[in-house]
Amino acid sequence: MARIIVITSGKGGVGKTTSSASFATGLALRGHKTAVLDFDVGLRNLDLIMGCERRVVYDLINVISGEANLNQALIKDKHCDNLFILPASQTRDKDALSEVGVERVINDLIQMGFEYIICDSPAGIEHGAIMALTFADDAIVVTNPEVSSVRDSDRILGIIQAKSRRALNGDEPVKEHLLITRYSAKRVESGEMLSYQDVQEILRIPLIGIIPESEAVLHASNQGNPVIHLKDSDVSLAYQDVIGRFLGEETPLRFMNYEKPGLFKRLFGAK
Amino acid sequence: MSIQHSNKAIEIKISTVVAIAVILHDNDLTRLESELQQLTGNSTDFFAGECAVVDVAHIDCATLDWTALIKLLRTYGIHPVAVRNAPELVEESISKLGLSIDLGTKTRQFSEVLPLDQQEVEAPVTEAMIADVLPAESQPDLLDIPTRLLPPMIIDTPVRGGQRIYARDTDLIITAVVNSGAEVIADGSIHIYAPLRGRALAGASGNTSARIFTLSMEAELVSIAGIYRTFENGFPVLPPHSPVQIKLNGDKIDVTSTTHSTTN
Repeated sequence: MARIIVITSGKGGVGKTTSSASFATGLALRGHKTAVLDFDVGLRNLDLIMGCERRVVYDLINVISGEANLNQALIKDKHCDNLFILPASQTRDKDALSEVGVERVINDLIQMGFEYIICDSPAGIEHGAIMALTFADDAIVVTNPEVSSVRDSDRILGIIQAKSRRALNGDEPVKEHLLITRYSAKRVESGEMLSYQDVQEILRIPLIGIIPESEAVLHASNQGNPVIHLKDSDVSLAYQDVIGRFLGEETPLRFMNYEKPGLFKRLFGAK
Repeated sequence: MSIQHSNKAIEIKISTVVAIAVILHDNDLTRLESELQQLTGNSTDFFAGECAVVDVAHIDCATLDWTALIKLLRTYGIHPVAVRNAPELVEESISKLGLSIDLGTKTRQFSEVLPLDQQEVEAPVTEAMIADVLPAESQPDLLDIPTRLLPPMIIDTPVRGGQRIYARDTDLIITAVVNSGAEVIADGSIHIYAPLRGRALAGASGNTSARIFTLSMEAELVSIAGIYRTFENGFPVLPPHSPVQIKLNGDKIDVTSTTHSTTN
């Protein structure tokens, strides 16, 4: 049975698209047929992070308005055979994103045998964000360890409770997961940043992972390469842990404690 | 309690006004007058211009001389401001006399009274919310009370920013956190078995004995029967990890620890 997962946050710039790209790639690397949809109509970014921006011909809105079919619009990922990207439109009005249209696209993807459908939500709580979460079975709420991001995540959780199809139909509620990104254990220790326990205390949903703050993310984004491909980087390992936990594996948390560099490291100066 | 004075020329707030209820059992004005005379011992200043709601549930309104009735009541220092339980047919003529129609026993449109923050109530509607109120003046039989008891509204999921919950005519019990930006309202008391970080308004329709309880006091605002308090300058110092109760003390809101409330 296909699962529809929304990656959302309320606040902008917290790492939704980075997480969508790596999460979708991670599922595909484990052999699952996965599609990732960009709902940020007008400000598309996912295709850049996935490195397929030069191959965009048709987009989500074209499919919804019937100007192209799904097979024409889906872009096959350059690394994984079973990962497909459906980009957002950069030119269209976001009102074109109709609920009926989105539902049809998602049902068609399920018919095509996709196991996981990842919806990359735009920031905010406007129409695009609502459309991205409407059909979700799971919600990954991306949160930075700072108060405004936590508050916005709280807001979006309330909206999921109120507006998702599952909530409106009175079905089992959308499964919520907390993903804390841009976590700097050092700054937490010095008291400049909320700890993951603080964030969890406010939001009170299960933690699916902690992604450390890292320059690797910026490098990877600039190269159009989801950061999960940067093997051995702590960010990649952290995203792989998230995939494992999502698929039901028990993986202990890591990257949440600050280790002071030892003498050797200080002398020979790994940066 | 901190009362904020503003530069605004007009402010609209919810306020509870004490009014007397004049319940008519006869529409014969001479009978009414003689009973008023008896009641007041013939002194016309027995009632000092008090506001009154005239309840006409028990009389035939069609044959009532409204102008004379109002004049009669005024002579005795009763100042009618509203009429309750009037048949719809006479509502218009009552309005023409400058009185308002008190909807005390009909379903009130609460959401029109309280300014909505951003969003409509996102909480499930329970029976309690649509149940009718007892008229304040009616004296229910003691035997009647158990069947009239409204069940509290119980919420088991976190109340998140932007959400608003209203327990009409009953208590509100929340077993999960109330986060900042959320608003929980009850006509009765509010019990929160988790931290309160948003706003809590108990006794929303004027019950001054309503209270708010929480395991951890981190609220943005609390209000009881329309009297509110904010905590710009921090919370009252209480023993750590002690449950808190918030109640009305005159026109002040007291925040105390439940474990120490007997010694305060």
